[in-house]
Amino acid sequence: MSLSDEQVKQVARLARIKLRARDVAQMTIHLGVVLEYMSQLNALDTDNVEPTMHVIPLTMPLREDQVWPSLPVEEALKNAPNPQNNMFGVPRIMDGGDA
Amino acid sequence: MAIHQQGVKDLVLAIRKKELSAQEAVNGIFHRIDEVESQVQAFLHLNQEYAQQRAKMIDQLPTGELERLPLAGVPVAVKDNMTTTAMPTTAASKILEGFMAPYNATVVDRLEAAGAIIVGKTNLDEFAMGSSTEHSAYHVTRNPWDLERVPGGSSGGSAAAVAAQMVPVALGSDTGGSIRQPASYCGVTGFKPTYGRVSRYGLIAFASSLDQIGPLTRSVEDARLVYEVIAGHDPKDATSLPHPGDPADRDRVVWEGLRVGIPKEYEGEGIDPRIQERYQTVLTTLEKAGAQLQEISLPHTHYAIATYYLVAPAEASSNLSRFDGVRYGYRASGGDLLTMYEQTRAEGFGPEVLRRILLGTHALSAGYYDAYYLKAQKVRTLIRQDFERAFDQVDVILTPTTPDTAFKFGEKSQDPLQMYLSDMFTVTANLAGIPGISTPAGLVEDLPMGIQWLGAALQEKRLLEIARGFEELWPPVPWPSLGGDL
Repeated sequence: MSLSDEQVKQVARLARIKLRARDVAQMTIHLGVVLEYMSQLNALDTDNVEPTMHVIPLTMPLREDQVWPSLPVEEALKNAPNPQNNMFGVPRIMDGGDA
Repeated sequence: MAIHQQGVKDLVLAIRKKELSAQEAVNGIFHRIDEVESQVQAFLHLNQEYAQQRAKMIDQLPTGELERLPLAGVPVAVKDNMTTTAMPTTAASKILEGFMAPYNATVVDRLEAAGAIIVGKTNLDEFAMGSSTEHSAYHVTRNPWDLERVPGGSSGGSAAAVAAQMVPVALGSDTGGSIRQPASYCGVTGFKPTYGRVSRYGLIAFASSLDQIGPLTRSVEDARLVYEVIAGHDPKDATSLPHPGDPADRDRVVWEGLRVGIPKEYEGEGIDPRIQERYQTVLTTLEKAGAQLQEISLPHTHYAIATYYLVAPAEASSNLSRFDGVRYGYRASGGDLLTMYEQTRAEGFGPEVLRRILLGTHALSAGYYDAYYLKAQKVRTLIRQDFERAFDQVDVILTPTTPDTAFKFGEKSQDPLQMYLSDMFTVTANLAGIPGISTPAGLVEDLPMGIQWLGAALQEKRLLEIARGFEELWPPVPWPSLGGDL
């Protein structure tokens, strides 16, 4: 099953990645080849097979709902590209663009 | 023997007896690094000052305390996708350039608590996605046996550092063979434990249901020593196993009557005839030692690569969504929030990572989820069941680790599918969650090749005993000198 340029652009939009036109063309080819290879799985009848969720059977680990110290604010902001007033600064969401 | 030539066990013994100081060990290692690193380029970060400081602390401990440290004074390298507070952690990606983690990975804390000394962080394919270390955003790493060839990947820096004798041990991570394949290409031992044995806390997630950390060393015994330090339950990783380690039923493997499974599906499958021939020689050696060779069938082997390259990218596309330019790492400038996300990710990730995110996003998207991701998870069950049935019949399964020896730079990087197919003998262990170890089986035209031992889930000690037994049967080869002081 191959993909069209339009489908690749749509997937890139879902993944929040801005692809350049020539990258779209190349990704379309590469993903097409890989998906073609994947299609061999269709030869297997898996109607009565349970999907693997955990390779080693485990019960869900639970703990007491207790408060623990967490990362201090200054540590959390240490690698932030634009820390502002003890918060993560991001581009304006409304009224389009910048500061 | 020069310091850099000594393995983990030798160094620990000498340092505990105070015949050698940890500072001498660290200086010896950095002397070797100065000599050969410019050729190999295995490291992304080195911190000599930090290593010397730690060594000084070890040397000041009274003998009684040193005795309690299983890795006292041992220099260690860590793959750069595990967090360290003493050095940057980049996962070899531009998107994490200069990132200083606020906490150590659990494996790093465990190593340091055992007395090990972290000397540096090793190169990898960006976010551990690749089989050659050519996909590092910073530089390639060269195979110490032939500098024109790749060291394998994604833990290529770790394998090359150990083979070039710059460190006696390095940690790697293995999602589809990323410890075992570079170990094979560089002629070292590479061990991937059962899924969940080693905590993934602080390991930058690639595919959470497949990722597992393990050691690369120059002997099986050294791999065991390091494994015992890093393994164990960790409440910070919900998938970390609470199961106790399996008791070793005997110290030495008894070959007489040991059932070694030979999967018939692994024959052919694009394997280099020279590798096939060497593999046959290994089998003959085992048979002479008394092992009982038994043909087994893993009927769904042929579907493993397709399954893996759906499951792993799907999980990666979800895990890598955290790299959005908001809280850490690279941020592209200008535009509104959506544009910032889209530009940051397009500029910050390399082509292979982009390819896998797109593949995974597609496999999880509405209308395709059942056909791709769910289908792959079902086939994964079939692959797991193949192994369960096989381990009812045999004690261990033996395969070549890779279908070929180390290839030249650029040989496969233009053809993603070709690169993916080089993982065909290793991905099944990750899909089934079982332990696997690659040990050297000599040189093939001056390049190393490895064989892979696969064991039943949770049976690490047994597997390590068998691999160590083989090491005693098989003649070792000299290490590459790299023109350094050997």
